Amino acid sequence: MKSIVVASGKGGTGKTTITALFTAIASRRLRVAVVDADVEASNLPLALSAKNVSCTPFPGGRRAEIDENVCVGCGLCAQTCRFDAITEGIYGVFVVDPFACEGCGRCAMVCSRGAVVMKPTTAGKACVGESVIGPIAFGQLGPGEDLSGKLVTEVRNLGHRAAVQHRAEVILIDGPPGIGCPLTAAIAGTHVVIAIAEPTASGAHDLDRLAGVAARLGLPVRVVLNKADLSADGASRIREVCNARNLPVIAEIPFDTVFAHSAMALGAGTSGLVADGSPSLRAATRAWQAVESELGLVT
Amino acid sequence: MYAGSRKGTPLAFVLAVASGKGGTGKTLVATNISALAAAHLERVVLVDCDVEAPNDHLFFSSVEATNVRVEVPVAKVDPSLCRACGRCRDACSFGAIRVLRGSAVVFEELCHGCGTCMDVCPRHAVHEVPRPVGEVVVGPVAGHDRLVLVTGRLYVGEVKSTSVIRSARSAARAITADLVVIDAPPGVGCSTVAAIRGVDALLLVAEPTPFGLHDLELSLELGLKLQLPMGVVVNREVGASDEIDSLCKEKGVPIVARIPFDRRIAETYARGELLTDTLPAVSEILAGLPEAMRALASREVVEQ
Repeated sequence: MKSIVVASGKGGTGKTTITALFTAIASRRLRVAVVDADVEASNLPLALSAKNVSCTPFPGGRRAEIDENVCVGCGLCAQTCRFDAITEGIYGVFVVDPFACEGCGRCAMVCSRGAVVMKPTTAGKACVGESVIGPIAFGQLGPGEDLSGKLVTEVRNLGHRAAVQHRAEVILIDGPPGIGCPLTAAIAGTHVVIAIAEPTASGAHDLDRLAGVAARLGLPVRVVLNKADLSADGASRIREVCNARNLPVIAEIPFDTVFAHSAMALGAGTSGLVADGSPSLRAATRAWQAVESELGLVT
Repeated sequence: MYAGSRKGTPLAFVLAVASGKGGTGKTLVATNISALAAAHLERVVLVDCDVEAPNDHLFFSSVEATNVRVEVPVAKVDPSLCRACGRCRDACSFGAIRVLRGSAVVFEELCHGCGTCMDVCPRHAVHEVPRPVGEVVVGPVAGHDRLVLVTGRLYVGEVKSTSVIRSARSAARAITADLVVIDAPPGVGCSTVAAIRGVDALLLVAEPTPFGLHDLELSLELGLKLQLPMGVVVNREVGASDEIDSLCKEKGVPIVARIPFDRRIAETYARGELLTDTLPAVSEILAGLPEAMRALASREVVEQ
């Protein structure tokens, strides 16, 4: 089973749309499973109409709470906290900002009155369901929660199990934006990273940083230039990055509003759109064929 | 006049620009409103808190920037003092310490630098060393008097985005300003929270697509949880955006601006240029945003 991750440093370059279309194209010949590894803004289940979804809560770290009836207001906890999460409240007792607490428990350890309690939290949920194409795993981080990287790993594990049951030949992973912890969790151990770049000043800068992370993890990167005709200047900036880093561009997809609509149409079951094809859909098909042949998925 | 900020420079109004979905136009809005406000005689600090993909600097050329490294403390064990008792390992909430071959070993990427292991070590074998994770670049912007750009940048291969975001915001607080504009990272997780916590108002940029609608709902939820006064900018609008309108109405959050879909906006952005020169009509829509958000924030303060 080959795993392919679609990523981009910059957000909104077309990762989800392209993942959905790749899935549709691939599923004509191969058994496919999909994973949405963007747990902060999970959109692939919308594009592929996930049904029969079952979710399990994903435990977060612990979080400090101060019992106002026990706290004597000495402030040792606030002095000890490295995350500025504890401040003096209005009644001379100390309070924890749940959004700043990282759950280390140091405050609970130093409090001589035992007024600090470390409470378990739920960081989000990990889900698995059926899409129009095959099994789909995804997650949703609770608003403001930590640990999105760990939730990504959990979602990938769920997706892998579903893929094995489905006897999938390919797992397609829709990655999160950025180059931090969630992105690293999404791309680690995959066979190839498909970087979706847009021809903007921002796009070139963010592609370069993504390629840097992938290189550190020893992962091959293939580039799809999306909205390619938006700016000739922007497109040449992308090509410069690709040349400098020796990254093959496997397709250039023209800017086309039909394209985004086709991904949504997949969910409604009108996947015939992909076959009929505008220039953008044909370019996406070529990109997928390049991935297939490179990974030896062509029989 | 101003709602007054809870934290930071007196009088500065702190406005965060955020979105759940990536690529909705946060950077477009943040860079343009900053430049426009500075042109209207306000002292403006633009803080790029999208530290994994910081792009604001591409739209400006800065002069004489100063560059400060962001370092986080991480635990380090001196193997000559360690007796492998495992107390540090047991006390660590992040699983960052293992005991291997007779000594505790810290996995730096997992260490939060909380200091708990130092507290529990009976032999004082644990100390902290700084680990560079990113940088904050501060500088005036050429051609825009009164505008200062603060850029947070996570080093490639590092993961502690929130530390870099906090450092960028604290660098911004040291600058006297009338308006602070924070360009937040996409999402609704800890990075976004680090960028928008305690601001005076939150401006959410949403695109009228099924994905955009779904992600706007999550962002609104986060803003309500953080009790921030909010307004929504609908970007790339084609015709009516009924679903976004009714979602905002339901949550009681006003739509403060609508930017029409226009290929010329995308092309201008692609070149790394501001809209001011090429598209004055769109600039006008954006120019009023800080004032609209100030009015919104002060109204909420009165209501409370």
